[in-house]
Amino acid sequence: MMKEILKTKSLSIGYEGKTVVSDINVTLNEGDIIALVGPNGAGKSTLFKTFSTHIKPVGGTIELFGKDLMAIAPKERAKLLGIVLTERPDDMFMKVYDVVAAGRYPYTGMFGKLSENDENEIKVSLELVGVNHLIDRVFNTLSDGEKQKVMIAKAIAQNTPVIMLDEPTAFLDYPSKIELFSLLKRLAKEQHKAILFSSHDLELLLRYTDNLWIIAKNKPFAAGQSSELLKNGVIKEYFGLKDADNQFLLNEIC
Amino acid sequence: MKNRKIVFGILGIIILGSILFILNLFVGSVTVPLDDIFKVLLKENTDNTLNVIIFNYRLPQALTALLAGAALAVAGLLMQTLFRNPLADPSMLGISSGASLGVGIVILLTGAISGTAVSSFGWWSTIGVSLAAFIGAVMVLFVMLAFSSRMKDMTTLIIIGLMIAYLAGSITDILKFFSLKEDIHAFVIWGMGSFSGVGTSKMPIFATSIIIGLFFTFFLSKNLNILLLGEMYAENLGLNIRKNSVIIILVSGYLTAIVTAYCGPIAFVGLAMPHIARFLFKSSDHRLLIPATMLIGMDMALICNLIARMPGFDGNLPVNAVTAFIGAPIVISVILKSRK
Repeated sequence: MMKEILKTKSLSIGYEGKTVVSDINVTLNEGDIIALVGPNGAGKSTLFKTFSTHIKPVGGTIELFGKDLMAIAPKERAKLLGIVLTERPDDMFMKVYDVVAAGRYPYTGMFGKLSENDENEIKVSLELVGVNHLIDRVFNTLSDGEKQKVMIAKAIAQNTPVIMLDEPTAFLDYPSKIELFSLLKRLAKEQHKAILFSSHDLELLLRYTDNLWIIAKNKPFAAGQSSELLKNGVIKEYFGLKDADNQFLLNEIC
Repeated sequence: MKNRKIVFGILGIIILGSILFILNLFVGSVTVPLDDIFKVLLKENTDNTLNVIIFNYRLPQALTALLAGAALAVAGLLMQTLFRNPLADPSMLGISSGASLGVGIVILLTGAISGTAVSSFGWWSTIGVSLAAFIGAVMVLFVMLAFSSRMKDMTTLIIIGLMIAYLAGSITDILKFFSLKEDIHAFVIWGMGSFSGVGTSKMPIFATSIIIGLFFTFFLSKNLNILLLGEMYAENLGLNIRKNSVIIILVSGYLTAIVTAYCGPIAFVGLAMPHIARFLFKSSDHRLLIPATMLIGMDMALICNLIARMPGFDGNLPVNAVTAFIGAPIVISVILKSRK
C-alpha cells in the first residue's frame, strides 16, 4: 500500500467566496506522478494556488501527512511542499547557484549561512537534473529549458516530499519536454516524491503519465488512470473531442 | 579567488572613503593645510580658529554625509528588492515628498497657528521636524504598499508614487501660502539638502538613530535574497510576505525619514548607489550588497559634500544639485545596460 501524502476532502476552490470548482476528493501518494489537465480558466492555477496556500480553500479540507494544510506553520510547510511556477527570477546578477541555494532557505539560520550539508544538497540537486555545469552562470542568461531545470533543482534542494509544477512544459521544445517527463518520473520513482504538475500537452500526458486529474467548468472533478479515462470516454467528454479523433487517440495510445 | 576579489573591492571602497573623508576636512572656503589637520585631530594644535572650523563644522559635516549616504543608499537597495524594480527609491515612490509634507506641516503650520517661527522653539523643533518627517514618510510608504499588493505592474506603481509626490507637493505649497516668511525660508533651505544641519550638538542623536537603522538592515539579508525569486516562491519557502514587507518598509522608511529630517530630501543616492554595488561585485547576494551599498553610499555622499563645498561655492551649492548631477548619468547607464 502506497503512503498517503496529500488528501483533499470535499475541497472547494475559488477566490473570495466565489467557487470555481467544488467537491474535489483526491489523494496524492508517495511515488505518484499526476498530471492536472483542463482547459484554460477551468481552475488549474486556482488549485495550485490553493495547494501552495497562496489562497484559502472556499470549503472542505486539504490534509498533508494527516494534518490540516492551512494549520501547518509556514516554516514547516516549506519543508513538505515545494513549487515550481512559470514565473522566473529576473535579477541581472543572480546566479544558478543562488537560485538553487534559495531552496535551502527553510533549513538555514538567521543570516542564511549555508552549511556543508546545504552546499552538498545544492550540488546533488543540480546533478540530479543534469545542470551542474551551469552552477556559476547568471540565471537570466539561460535558455527556457535550462531555467526550468534549475527551478526544479531549487525544488529538489528544498527537500520536500511533494513537488508541484505549474505548466512545466509550457515553453519547452519537444526533446526538452520528453526530458522533463523522464526527470519527473525518476524523481517520483527514485526519490519517492509525490509529483503533481499541470500541462496542456494532452497527447504527451496520455503517453507518459499514469494518472490524470481533469478539471473543467461545470463538470465534476475527474481523476483516474490515463488509459482508463481515455477508454471510458471521460477524455472525449471533457475535452470535447469528435468521435473519430477519440478513436484515433485510442488506437494510437492504448 | 572570488572572495579575494570581494575583499579587494571592499578595501578599495574603504580606502577611497578615508581619502575623501580627509579631503572633506581639508577643502572648503578656508583651506586647511594637511599637516594642520593631523595636528588638530591629534589635539596638538593651538590655533583656536582652526580647531573650531574642523571640530565644529567640517568633522560633523563629514560624519553626517557618511551616515546619511550609507542610510539612503541602503534604503534604496531595500526598496528596489522589495518592489523588484531597479527604479524604486525612497524619493521616487513619493516617500521623500511625504517627509517634506510632514516637515512642511510642522514648520509652516506652527508658525501660522502660534504666530512664532518654529526655529524659536529650539531643541523641541528638531524633534518635531524629525518626527513629522518620519510620520510623513511612513504614511506614504504604507499607501504605496497597499497599491503594490493590489497591482503587479511596477510602472503603474511608480506613476502613483509620482502623483502622490505631486499631491504632497501641492499641499505643501498651499501651506506655504499661509505661512510666516521666516518659516518659508527655513523650509526652502531644508528642502535644498545639506549635511551641515546636524552639527556637534545633534550628532549623538542623529548618529545613534542611523546606526540602529543600519544595524537592522543586516538581519534582512536572508529574506531579501529569497524575495528575488518572486513573492510566490518566497512564500512557498516559508516567508511571511506581509510581515516581511512591513518590516522592510519600516526600516527603509525610518532611515529615509531620519536623514530627510536632518539633511532635507536628498535625491539619487538611494537610487543609484545600489546599482553601483551590484555592477561592481556582480552579485545579487544581500549579505554582500548591504554592506557594499552602505560603503559606496558613504563615498558618494562625501564626494557630493566635497563638490558642494569647493572653494568658490562657499558651501551654498545645494547637495541635491550635486547628487543629481552625478546620479542621473549612473541611472541612465544602468537602464541602458539592463535593457540590452
